[in-house]
Amino acid sequence: MNPAKAYAHLFSPLGGEGADNYRSPSHISFLRQPFVSLEGDDLANSDAPYVFIGVPFNEGSVGRSGSEEAPLAFRVGSLDYFSFWFEFMVDLHKTVVDAGDLPLPRADPKAARERIYNAVRKVLAAGKIPIICGGDRSISISATKALSDHLGDDKKMGYMHLGAHLEMADNWAGETHLSTNAMARITELGNLDMANCAHIGARNSSNLKDHVDLAKHRGLRFYPMHEVLDRGVDHVIDEAVARVWGGTDAQYLSLNLNILDSSAAPGVTATETGGLESRELMQIAKKISDCGHISVIDVTELCPMTDVSESTCRTAVAVVLRIMAGIQKVHGKTLNESLRRPGWKF
Amino acid sequence: MTSSSKNTWTLAPHQHQGPHKEVREDAHIHSPEKHNSNFKAEGILTFMGAPYCPPDRHRIREMGAKICFLGAPWDQGTIVRTGTSSGPHGIREASSQYFSYLFEFDVDLLTFFNVVDCGDIPIVPGNNELSQQYMCDYVTECLEGGAKVILVGGDHSVPIPGARGLSQYMSRNKPDASMGYLHVDCHLDAAVDWAGIEITNASGPTETLKMPNVSSKNMAHMGSRNGLNPKDWMDFWVDNDMPIVPMSEVIERGIETCGRKILDRAWNGTEAVYLSWDTDSMDCSIMPGTSCPESYGLNARESIAFARLVGEYGVDVFELAELAPIFDVSDISAKLACNLIYQYLGSRAATLRSRNEEP
Amino acid sequence: MNPAAEHNHLFSPLEGENADHSSHISFMGAPFVPVDSDDLSANGAPYVFIGAPFDEGNVGKPGCEDGAREFRVASLEMPSYWFEFNVDLKGVVVDMGDVSMPRVNPEVARERIYSAVRKVLAVGKIPIICGGDRSISIPAAKALSDHLGDDKKMGYMHLGAHLDMADRWAGETHLSTNAMARITELGNLDMANCAHIGARNAFNSKDQVELAKKRHMRFYPMMEVLDRGIDDVMDEAVSRVWGGTDAQYLSMNLNILDSSAAPGVTFTESGGLSSRELIRVAKKISDRGHISVIDVTELCPMTDVAGSTSRTAVTIVQRIMAGIQKIHGKTLDESLRRPGWKYDS
Repeated sequence: MNPAKAYAHLFSPLGGEGADNYRSPSHISFLRQPFVSLEGDDLANSDAPYVFIGVPFNEGSVGRSGSEEAPLAFRVGSLDYFSFWFEFMVDLHKTVVDAGDLPLPRADPKAARERIYNAVRKVLAAGKIPIICGGDRSISISATKALSDHLGDDKKMGYMHLGAHLEMADNWAGETHLSTNAMARITELGNLDMANCAHIGARNSSNLKDHVDLAKHRGLRFYPMHEVLDRGVDHVIDEAVARVWGGTDAQYLSLNLNILDSSAAPGVTATETGGLESRELMQIAKKISDCGHISVIDVTELCPMTDVSESTCRTAVAVVLRIMAGIQKVHGKTLNESLRRPGWKF
Repeated sequence: MTSSSKNTWTLAPHQHQGPHKEVREDAHIHSPEKHNSNFKAEGILTFMGAPYCPPDRHRIREMGAKICFLGAPWDQGTIVRTGTSSGPHGIREASSQYFSYLFEFDVDLLTFFNVVDCGDIPIVPGNNELSQQYMCDYVTECLEGGAKVILVGGDHSVPIPGARGLSQYMSRNKPDASMGYLHVDCHLDAAVDWAGIEITNASGPTETLKMPNVSSKNMAHMGSRNGLNPKDWMDFWVDNDMPIVPMSEVIERGIETCGRKILDRAWNGTEAVYLSWDTDSMDCSIMPGTSCPESYGLNARESIAFARLVGEYGVDVFELAELAPIFDVSDISAKLACNLIYQYLGSRAATLRSRNEEP
Repeated sequence: MNPAAEHNHLFSPLEGENADHSSHISFMGAPFVPVDSDDLSANGAPYVFIGAPFDEGNVGKPGCEDGAREFRVASLEMPSYWFEFNVDLKGVVVDMGDVSMPRVNPEVARERIYSAVRKVLAVGKIPIICGGDRSISIPAAKALSDHLGDDKKMGYMHLGAHLDMADRWAGETHLSTNAMARITELGNLDMANCAHIGARNAFNSKDQVELAKKRHMRFYPMMEVLDRGIDDVMDEAVSRVWGGTDAQYLSMNLNILDSSAAPGVTFTESGGLSSRELIRVAKKISDRGHISVIDVTELCPMTDVAGSTSRTAVTIVQRIMAGIQKIHGKTLDESLRRPGWKYDS
């Protein structure tokens, strides 16, 4: 009847010394969870399965910039949410720690990539699941390599990308590690079989011919938007999820927010018309979480400068939290339904 | 229902007056003949260009007004972002971009309902109790004047005095009758208290259930989703046996089925219904101009369909809350909110006409 | 195996280049060709882009004057290769610049628009006109009508939230709100070949609805689109406009889109088409294999977000162009590869 103080965070604040204004915590961290350092033992000693990492890296972009401010905006977007998610009867409190933003050098993308790689490897080595907020799409290259190396040659990796662009440029004006090269690099990873790889959402004319040629050459199964709309989101995602989760030891979900239609995500570096609606993305989140596990999540190309009413940030946060909550639910880590707020009289 | 010798309703005094006045009687629903009329020259801005009527029950009755528009420019009851105090202005502004004629229903909303604008409720900054009392009093005047109310917020604490006003009106005039209450919102909003305070925008339903003529069997919620829903808000609806129709259900079963479910419940054995419709029930893509925009919400078609459904059933107070024009882009939120009110009224007019009933 | 440099634009930029950043702001980076020059007819491009930065036909919603400029800017970010069609749009359009607009002299402005469109039609090309406000369709449609002459039949399709069937608006005859009223008076436009899709909300005054009915102008309001579905409605509308006509004018007021999908328009309207529906509309049109004039109006950059409305507008127009190319078999040689391609087929 009267739950311990440990459950107070599930309910409306009690007042008194408790947090009255939950929107202004003393520090801005993802979902108001504690900060933890990637150095030392804090990470390994923490019980939280997820580790949030901010990667304010913008130098891989070939188009518009603006994703550098995204990690901060993403955290701010998470402040309005409680850790309790009623649709799942799940509490996300203490399931994630915030490792802060990676300190990144300027004008030295190679060094930046190494730091991203190292950070993700540390989190994986501690047995935890990185949730990486970029930054631009190129950060996925280092992060995916980290997962691949962590797994080693005798394990199988699955990779799913949601986004409007194929990013299969083998090289772009001679460069190899820009956003436009992301999928090209990722599809070269030794323990990523193309049978376990899926790209969903490609549309419109930023997909140059060599991207399509390389995708076909390598056997990358991509589901362009017109296929998603023709066959239905459910069908396509069922198939894609079966590819990526089927028989793999680890799965990387990479979310470029421009998978969403420009109406649903104005706050991205390159809006693309004809994309998903937010409810469809939440549907996808459910299909993913129904698998019961994920190894890495990244969210890229969020551009707070062009956002409207902070809505894109919040949508991005909602997708990630819904995946986490869904996975908790699949594992039966749900709350005792009968818990009530102190002083409950109904 | 046009102005007649029986009531004093006429179009707003600043329209069709002066040296170049439009002469046609129903000029306001036709392309203008002499000048832009009040399109983009709204002069003294009122909702739908309706005449101003003081919020006084006798004046309202004199005018034969059947719909009173009331603004509640209030955002100090909120637990989230402020900005909703310019909501009423935003809707009036949006309405100045339209005629009062809805071709989809072939009805002139202004003259069918003798719509009046009763202005904005004066608020006392920093004083929730007093401001809410004033809101209650203004709503009461409109109801006692024989009109139904369109109440535009302001934050979502507005239904606390709003529903109280309707409840007290019912107690005085129909003491044996009961009242229904619907809460359409992204958030379950059922904080018994929020850090000790019972009258924030998280407590519309909890306060309303305290009313003597409101029963939990005539209350329902629709539209909820995402993580701004602490457990006690859910427990309130569950422990009082009231349905929560979350967005997942709306998407699965359709807005028509879900809308009817909650409207049927509200009208089951009651003689009045209060609809409290938070703009954040709508998806942030269509309604960014709200204090707490959220994904996974009602789309435009569902919102319009629901507004029409409400018109079919009718409500006594149609409240639209949390519109925050400051966060809007290109007026899309204010115009959608305005259109929802118009669709509700148009549907209501069509329903009444089909039954040969007066508003 | 190693294609000529003329194909480089299909691929990611080669070493030492950056993506095709045009040194000038033109539609798709296309060359500028003045409308009065001989280069216009000599040029092989079937389409001619015309900017019509005219905003004086609006009845109270300004801001679309910069529409053409932003339309061009948005198009510069988009390569010409369309993988969904296997089509390359490079070289299919030239840009004749903006029609020079006088200020406070709408009659002269309209004459200049009329004249520019006639010249483009006279050399056998397809104008893509970006406004400017909806009223520019009046001189542009008249230009097509006069170009065809009395013994030919014209088809006209409008996508937009407003009927624009005011015979007079405060005594005026050539404002945006008069557009459809004027266009439905064209002698060689039979109402059986005219369709208006998307009307909704309360800016459609009673007289406009009455005039539409009186003139037998078939309009498909959004309510009907919702009941029947966009596919069903468009099949019918396209048959009306393309059936038995010698030329077809597609007029697109961007407020056909729901306000969420097009915030950057002068007069947003809720309850409209989603972007995916407009993409379907574009396909139904391009499946016909030909179009005579396209106009895009009411693009309002100052209320746009992230340039998304401009981008959407360009995308829709390019999808129509690409679809038509595909119908005519003008697709790419699939075997073309990027220079230095190191993968065997």
